Amino acid sequence: MSNSAITPPPRALVVWMALGKTLAELRANRFLANSKMRSALAILIPLSLLILLAPVLPLQAPLQTNLMAMMQPPSLEHPFGTDRMGRDIFSRTLEGVKISLKVGLSVAALALVMGMILGTLAGFFGGLMDRSVMVIVDILMAFPSLLLAIGLIAIMGTGLVPVVMAIAIADIPRFIRLQRSLVLGLRTRAYIDAARTVQASQFWLMSRHIVPNSVAPMLVAASISAANAILVEASLSFLGLGIMPPAPSLGNLIREGQLYMEQAWWISTLPGVVILLIAISFHFLSDGVRQALDPRTRK
Amino acid sequence: MIHQGNIPVPLLDVRNLRTEFETDSGTVRAVDDASFAIMPGERIAVVGESGSGKSAMAMSILRLLVYPGRVVGGDVLLDGTNLAQLGEKQLNALRGRTVGTVFQDPMSSLDPVMRVSKQMVAPIMRNLGMSYKDAYAEAVDWLRKVGIPDPERRITAFPFEMSGGMRQRVMIAMALSCRPKLLIADEPTTALDVTIQAQIVEIMKTLTTQANTAMLFITHDLGLVARLADKVAVMYAGRIVEFGTVAKIFGAPCHPYTQSLLRTIPSPTALHPARLPQIPGLPPDMKQGIQGCAFRERCAAATEQCGRDTPKLTDRGVNHLAACWQPEGLAGIAQEAAPRPELRRNDSPFRDRVIVEINNLNKHFISSAFLSRAKRTVVRAVNGVNLRVRQGETLGVVGESGCGKSTLARLLLGLEHPTSGEIFTEGLTQMVFQDPASSFNPKMRIRSIIEEPLIVKRKGDWASRQARVEKLIDLVGLKLNHLDRFPSQLSGGQLQRVAVARALALEPSVVVADEPTSALDVSVRAQIINLLADLKQELGVAFIFISHDLLTVRYISDRIAVMYLGEVVEYGPADLVFNSPAHPYTRALIDAVPIPDPVKEARRSSAVLQGELPSPLDEIHGCAFATRCPQANQRCRDEKPKLRQHQKSREAACHYAK
Repeated sequence: MSNSAITPPPRALVVWMALGKTLAELRANRFLANSKMRSALAILIPLSLLILLAPVLPLQAPLQTNLMAMMQPPSLEHPFGTDRMGRDIFSRTLEGVKISLKVGLSVAALALVMGMILGTLAGFFGGLMDRSVMVIVDILMAFPSLLLAIGLIAIMGTGLVPVVMAIAIADIPRFIRLQRSLVLGLRTRAYIDAARTVQASQFWLMSRHIVPNSVAPMLVAASISAANAILVEASLSFLGLGIMPPAPSLGNLIREGQLYMEQAWWISTLPGVVILLIAISFHFLSDGVRQALDPRTRK
Repeated sequence: MIHQGNIPVPLLDVRNLRTEFETDSGTVRAVDDASFAIMPGERIAVVGESGSGKSAMAMSILRLLVYPGRVVGGDVLLDGTNLAQLGEKQLNALRGRTVGTVFQDPMSSLDPVMRVSKQMVAPIMRNLGMSYKDAYAEAVDWLRKVGIPDPERRITAFPFEMSGGMRQRVMIAMALSCRPKLLIADEPTTALDVTIQAQIVEIMKTLTTQANTAMLFITHDLGLVARLADKVAVMYAGRIVEFGTVAKIFGAPCHPYTQSLLRTIPSPTALHPARLPQIPGLPPDMKQGIQGCAFRERCAAATEQCGRDTPKLTDRGVNHLAACWQPEGLAGIAQEAAPRPELRRNDSPFRDRVIVEINNLNKHFISSAFLSRAKRTVVRAVNGVNLRVRQGETLGVVGESGCGKSTLARLLLGLEHPTSGEIFTEGLTQMVFQDPASSFNPKMRIRSIIEEPLIVKRKGDWASRQARVEKLIDLVGLKLNHLDRFPSQLSGGQLQRVAVARALALEPSVVVADEPTSALDVSVRAQIINLLADLKQELGVAFIFISHDLLTVRYISDRIAVMYLGEVVEYGPADLVFNSPAHPYTRALIDAVPIPDPVKEARRSSAVLQGELPSPLDEIHGCAFATRCPQANQRCRDEKPKLRQHQKSREAACHYAK
């Protein structure tokens, strides 16, 4: 604390400092003590380990076909069975989860950072700045987010980066709104006035007082947004607009399997269950973060 | 109380009531072994500081506690029925009919989307079995009784269309309209201005006396107790520590806590001691579980026994009980604060240089609704104010809410820009804010909070700043280990000390303190007042002390400015203004303050200042106070009085000031 107080922090570091402080706070509040957080991590940590270990596990590569073993039901060799071209669904699912997590986390990070910056500027300065940001936000929010993402993909093309961009753009307005409302509440706090009486700069007020106090609710929103992004990516891929086959995103897997639902239920169902688990665990994560950061639940 | 040989039956008999709150760090016994009785028509006050369990007790009596609180023991007999044995349905019937309630915040106790008529008529119909028409007439009648002008029209209003005082009147009318035998009022006037408080108190007194309604009212204001109550229960850390008639409690208090409490309040008439007596320390942490007497750590007469055994309420004469191991009341237990080399008030060596000069200052807030046909409105928050503050002097600014005192503070600090007029200040102006909870960034440690002004102003290197911070924390009476805590880990009084340290960091010449003690408990208040008085003497800092608490302002100030609707109506030396006010508003304000002395309160005339502040939107041509002034005539309504000199050193804005 005292070291960071020697000089005003470099501008780029502000958000990271706030995040670091929040993480320290999570630790201080024994965030593992709450059950939601534990269940979220109980799903996410083994899943991440599986993804990391996938190359060294005795699994068929995700893209490798095997015409001798098509449409086989789950077995020890193929825990999730195989598809119409004899590809191993389990290793494809793990690959899909990797893509899902990439999309979820990048969207959440992008939306968080952009929402923080624009929301803080709009809320803190008000006036023309506020009005111009909010007009764009209102226009974007008038579209259902999936439709907006589809439209953006139509412009930008498919692939991982356009998908992340499209979902993030559809999500950022909500973050701007949330941050703006938080800032409006914080702006009139007496400690802001106290800093103003010594002519602290606007940047000082925002970086030292506003942002650190709005990180917590924004992190909660970010973890919900990650869950949402994963579902939207799956929906886009299902519609054939997201990650292009043969890359195995979870949406692709479900789409490929839906034609064979009657003969080979496992092709669609098991990746679907995995999506469900991930989405639930991110929602639990957001509840857990909220509980750990909310001063009202603090001891 | 004995009539015809029968023992009178109490209306409410509370026996050994125990209430606990479940928290993560253990069980808090909020009410511990509380026993008392209320006779029909009797008014009992429960006084105590925040956390003393007074509200929890009221809620426990009504069985209105919600999780995590619950009543764990004891009986409550209301009119012969034991409430502990009743089901929720029977309790509900009882709450409206036999017991009426008034809470502190009239906004959240009234349904904002329901007209007053609907909220009032339904309970009357249900409880008194009246037809809608009769109940409506009854409701109008009650509104008239509580002093709402034009009740036939006002009854159709929504709560948000009324002022705070009006809403509290409606609450009282609602509570009394079902003719309860007992009225429970939890801090009924705390949110109101002092002149409105005087009106409400008068109404409650008159109406409960007429209907022989008993009353249990909870307050932290000892002045109100003296004005309203027959008997007093003093609570400390969940226990009733003293119980007795008003005369006994104020005249010959037995418990050291009661004695100390009474002495820490600035007296309106006595000569000023150099320092207020103060109770050292803080109330105990209820989560820790208390062994022995909870007050012993702050008590000068504590013995070994006090740490071992919890004292029970024992008889100290007729109608007087106290829970203390000392057999006799110990006089003079409130400790005089450690003596410092004193300077008398009014003879600080600096005294002549004017360091703040405010000339014809105006701040008008203009609302011009965009694309709306509504008329452009102007609120004159500060209207032509002239004031001077001399070096090392304390200027008290008093007035009711909406009088512009906080806007004046913001103007002085440069947080608002004046519409017109000038402020000259020599040196820096800093501020101590009202609410200790919101004046610090919760994510910063105390060290960084005090250091912040130094960093922003680029004063010194890291080492010299640390030295300065450590010196400041010592100056305001805190310890070095407080520096590494977060604001949420300090108490309200400690936080106000931190606020003072932060304000002094840059060695300002003026510190503006906006209601610095009003969020604090009485026992801690004196500590902060003494701190400010000391700093004034030691550092030669001038203070502008803004408050609605007249007794405190009078104690701490050298000069007083009284504000009404954005204007200074009287300005002069504190004692002169208090002892012989020249402006009728000043007189009314002083008269409205409840004095913690039942003898004086009994002699007070029941005439109170009528009416409420006019809307600040109204265009006023004459004297702003003319609408409420008992002496106002046509000249007052037409011609605006100027602030002019009366007697030697005092100014007042009244045509008829003597």
